[in-house]
Amino acid sequence: MTHFKSLDYVKNSYNARICQITEERKAGKKIVGTLCLFVPDEIIFAAGVDRVILCGGKNDTVSIAEQYLPRNICPLVKSSFGSIINDGCSGVRSCSHFGLVDMVVAENTCDSKKKMYELLGDYVPTYVLDLPQRPDSPEAIKYFLGELEKFKGVMEQLTGNKVTVEQLKKEITSSNETRQLLHRLYDLRKADPPLISGLDVLKVMQKQYFLSPDELKKSLRMLIDEAEQVKADWAREHKPRIMISGCPMAGGNTKVPEIIENKGGVIIAEESCTGTRSFWDLVDESKDPMIALAERYIKIPCSCMTPNDRRIDNILELAREFKVDGVVYYTLQFCHGYNIEKYKVQQALKKAGIPMLSIETDYGDSDVEQIGLRVDAFMEMLS
Amino acid sequence: MISVGIDSGSATTKAALVIDGQIADRVVLPTAFDFLSAAEKAYNGVLAGAGVDKKDVSGVYATGYGRDSIKFADRAISEITAHAIGVYHLYPAVNGVIDIGGQDSKIISVNGGRVTDFLMNDKCAAGTGKFLEYTAKALEVPIEELGSLALASKAPASITSMCTVFAESEAISLRARGFKKEDIAAGLIESVARRVAVMVRQVGLKQNVAFVGGVAKNTGIKVVLEKELGISLYVPPEPQVTGALGAALYGIS
Repeated sequence: MTHFKSLDYVKNSYNARICQITEERKAGKKIVGTLCLFVPDEIIFAAGVDRVILCGGKNDTVSIAEQYLPRNICPLVKSSFGSIINDGCSGVRSCSHFGLVDMVVAENTCDSKKKMYELLGDYVPTYVLDLPQRPDSPEAIKYFLGELEKFKGVMEQLTGNKVTVEQLKKEITSSNETRQLLHRLYDLRKADPPLISGLDVLKVMQKQYFLSPDELKKSLRMLIDEAEQVKADWAREHKPRIMISGCPMAGGNTKVPEIIENKGGVIIAEESCTGTRSFWDLVDESKDPMIALAERYIKIPCSCMTPNDRRIDNILELAREFKVDGVVYYTLQFCHGYNIEKYKVQQALKKAGIPMLSIETDYGDSDVEQIGLRVDAFMEMLS
Repeated sequence: MISVGIDSGSATTKAALVIDGQIADRVVLPTAFDFLSAAEKAYNGVLAGAGVDKKDVSGVYATGYGRDSIKFADRAISEITAHAIGVYHLYPAVNGVIDIGGQDSKIISVNGGRVTDFLMNDKCAAGTGKFLEYTAKALEVPIEELGSLALASKAPASITSMCTVFAESEAISLRARGFKKEDIAAGLIESVARRVAVMVRQVGLKQNVAFVGGVAKNTGIKVVLEKELGISLYVPPEPQVTGALGAALYGIS
């Protein structure tokens, strides 16, 4: 695969971002940490607050968390908690942002996160955005709108700034621009072979909620321009086109995509929070901004929602759109929501004639060989 | 055309030499520490056994856990594909394979020799040969005798732990409570069979299922597994070498 210079830029953006946040804090700006797609960026930015994502993808801080949390909960929850309470996980490189937030904006998604946030409150101010979990019920949207209004109030209180309709509209337009750029990036993956590897895209997606919107957009534009240019001299060789579906892959966690692409497959889409789920739907700019936000965000097909048929439909639609040869259903150990939904996804894919390989793993490397064998066999099956 | 398949497993290394689509010789030996030297030994073994000169071999194909360390092989394929091809060669009506190996178990759905779906046990030893090997020690019984011992049981003990280490403790505590050796043995085997049966149902195998891998040599386990699944299983005469055979045949196809 082509080496993109703009990816070096993204890779090296870490230190610059840390400097930026440090300067912002010195100047009195507030920084919040988020761990979920359900927390609207637009409201945060409209209040003049900056944000960084605090989802942990590194194994190093899991053992710190296990002093407080049970072993059998998902590694993302443990890694995040371990990194935050360890004050930017001293001793672990490239995660000082965990210690640079004035408040964590949490959300009621899965049980592990919900209960973890209760412990987190002892270390850093933690606000929990409540989510109705039957998104299609008529009461849900009303309730969620109320929760977003409350959250807007919390941001106003944190900063002393008033969130205006104009400000919200401006941020919605800006976030929609980002979403459209991501759509363009994903369009490059529809080619056979795709113009960019899955691993390269993942490394950008992992910084989606870390970088400032301006930096992210700049990086995306650079990357898209560069990738569009390699079109002409691309080697035309079909590799099994794999879609990943399931749990997020937070920064530092690239184990499974690396195995898939080393074993001859190419990842052309991720139906996950570090993939399509984060940008697929735009916010309606013609409506009242708060209502438009509530309507857009409540439809995110997370497995904490029930029923979640929207997710199954979305997976089938993506499989068609990206001409998928096979799906790797990726789950983190003890992530009950996505692990249980696996059954329904498998049934739907079977009906559609799309093979699926299921991989449940954690952040350790002990199962690299076993996963490699499954992926090898899956590739042999698809070719 | 002469081709050789080498199945470099965690416990044993198997080689099969195939001449014009027919198996001419096979070798099974312990892998010990070094995957590569065990593979070389097995390779030389089948060459000598079939009376074939190295230069007449058109290809060597590796499979199994150590497949990527067999440097002299022309290609490596997964043992899932290899077992499917090997079993299909011996038993063309097959549409499912149960392979219980040293450190994992695999359930493979097969159609015309091609893999259509598969499932492997998760990353612990539950439902594997290792489980039996380890727990047999708690009974002071050689692993080869565990199956026949279990057949003598009239009231199998109940072993509820999936974890190999805890199952061993469970077996020891049953011993302390005065359970018969054969009943504990039967309980251990039933626990593996139950685990494997769940996977078989998940993949949806119903008829024409073959049982391969080192553990398939154990009659007691075959009987319990058949009872658990309610079907009879086809066990090739040498269930350990189907992977190596499949790898050799892969080279020909």
